[in-house]
Amino acid sequence: MPQIVLENLCKTFGGVEVLRNVSLSIEKGAFTVFVGPSGCGKSTLLRCIAGLEEITSGNLLLGGHRMNEVDPAARGLAMVFQSYALYPHMTVAENMSFGLRMAHRPKAEIDEKVAKAARILQLEPLLARKPAALSGGQRQRVAIGRAIVRDPQVFLFDEPLSNLDAELRVQTRVEIAKLHQTLGNTIIYVTHDQTEAMTLADQIVVLRAGKVEQIGAPMDLYNDPDNAFVAGFIGSPRMNFLNVEVAGGQVLGVPVSLPEGPVQLGIRPEHLDQSAGIRLPVVVEVVEKLGATSYIHARLESGETVVAESRETLARPGAKLDLHFDIARARFFDMAGQRLR
Amino acid sequence: MGIRSAREKWVLRVAMVPMAVLALSCVYPVIFTINNALKTKKGYILNRFGLVDAPSLQNFYDAWGRAHLSDYLFNSVVVTAGAVLLLLLTSSLAGFALAMLRFPMRKVLFIVILASLMIPVQVVLVPFYRTMLALDLVNTRIGLIIAYTAFFLPFCVYMMTAFYARLPRELVEAARMDGATLLQIWWNVMLPMGRPALLTLGILNTLYCWNDVLISLLVLQKERTVMVGIAALRGEYTTDVPLLCAGIALASAPIIAIYVFFQRQIVDGIAVGAVKG
Repeated sequence: MPQIVLENLCKTFGGVEVLRNVSLSIEKGAFTVFVGPSGCGKSTLLRCIAGLEEITSGNLLLGGHRMNEVDPAARGLAMVFQSYALYPHMTVAENMSFGLRMAHRPKAEIDEKVAKAARILQLEPLLARKPAALSGGQRQRVAIGRAIVRDPQVFLFDEPLSNLDAELRVQTRVEIAKLHQTLGNTIIYVTHDQTEAMTLADQIVVLRAGKVEQIGAPMDLYNDPDNAFVAGFIGSPRMNFLNVEVAGGQVLGVPVSLPEGPVQLGIRPEHLDQSAGIRLPVVVEVVEKLGATSYIHARLESGETVVAESRETLARPGAKLDLHFDIARARFFDMAGQRLR
Repeated sequence: MGIRSAREKWVLRVAMVPMAVLALSCVYPVIFTINNALKTKKGYILNRFGLVDAPSLQNFYDAWGRAHLSDYLFNSVVVTAGAVLLLLLTSSLAGFALAMLRFPMRKVLFIVILASLMIPVQVVLVPFYRTMLALDLVNTRIGLIIAYTAFFLPFCVYMMTAFYARLPRELVEAARMDGATLLQIWWNVMLPMGRPALLTLGILNTLYCWNDVLISLLVLQKERTVMVGIAALRGEYTTDVPLLCAGIALASAPIIAIYVFFQRQIVDGIAVGAVKG
């Protein structure tokens, strides 16, 4: 039985529908990531699960029990906020023990749990400090520590890395992944960064304008997207989309089993190379050299732009180039963005 | 500030003249009071504005004992401390509710509280006095404590709401996730975090309550507060000015001490809510 089930969950704010019929299930111990652009409702969905927002309609089931009206603290969840939300007047130890103190747990138990969480997160030397005396990464760990000591069934993370610099973000991402392996708890993690979603998740839920676009394992979403939005959102740089015509059962001279008429052809940058397959003559506009790889930004005769990934390239801006791709790597979408299989 | 040009320096020097006059006009009454409090009655009549030649503390002893300032001071301390404590507690609770909680009519309630700031005390004196009479609160210290709380509360609520509105709501949400009740959130999170604003309000309200004559005169008619007691030192036809000065010096001493110790908080407090409310 799934640990968390959402059934047709809706949320409105003063007549504005923020979440529309969201249905999904999350297995015990899974690392699920809600991902989507700003304003898609991912944080609202997390807050509905946490109990910080009222659910307008639909059901939230935790462990098989309906939890719509249950107090946030009684849901067995712990949340790590985007701004960490540490109590600035309390020490690290007091911050971490706050929940247990509110639950009137015995002092010995509180001390033991705080010490254990501090050991896991390497916070032992910082226990007597106040949040103002900590770095961003340390504050993040304290916020996670505060969640750990409550020993929750489910951890909720609301864009926890967005306040960290690029280097620390990668480091903390790895730490969160390790933490999940160590603790084994269910985690729901909200982010707008598809890289975080791809690297951390067992299951990704892609949201757009309050609706679930697709749910699946990271590589399933990457390789087999249901629509052009998911195909474009998952993957960096995003998938290239070209407007093509299916005529006489052929597209770009290659036979396909697709309905006649205009379609969108999606091809990922790493599948556009300079070796073999369907030829796309382009003019190079910009070459981004990242060291291990380069991105060639180029323009087709039709005026459409594409990005190609190349490990080694001698291409220069203004040069003419032939890019190639294998039709088997291409994904087709109708003009409304739905996948054609 | 960077390096100033000669012209800017000259402008600053000119601007300093009215500032110095203003500062002198504030300091002079203090010097006048202390100087005359140390004179005898005869010494004052002979030389009103000159410096004291034979300083004496007799006027202070007389004001403290014969003019009952010790009793009045006790009343002032009790009433001021009670009112300030009640004001801080209620305004912190109200500020927390208005800034952090969502409930129907919240904005209307806040506007009504703000509107009551605009009503001068004098306008409501008659209904206020009749209410105090009806509640049998005239001539009781608790009556004056309630009266001060009622009159100064709107400003305090406004200030605490403005202060708490600047804090992230996520703190309250985190505490809710941690299992704290609303009262526990207020006590454990909001009250300690509101310390700077509460300290400022405490100081400002101590000044207001201590210096008040009008409300105190209405409510505590038999037992006086120190400021009313000082006013009573003035006779109908003649006044013992050195005794009055000694009384004023005694009554002002605690409040000046508070001002000197907490200058920074008072100035900071005036700006609370100015940036974002």
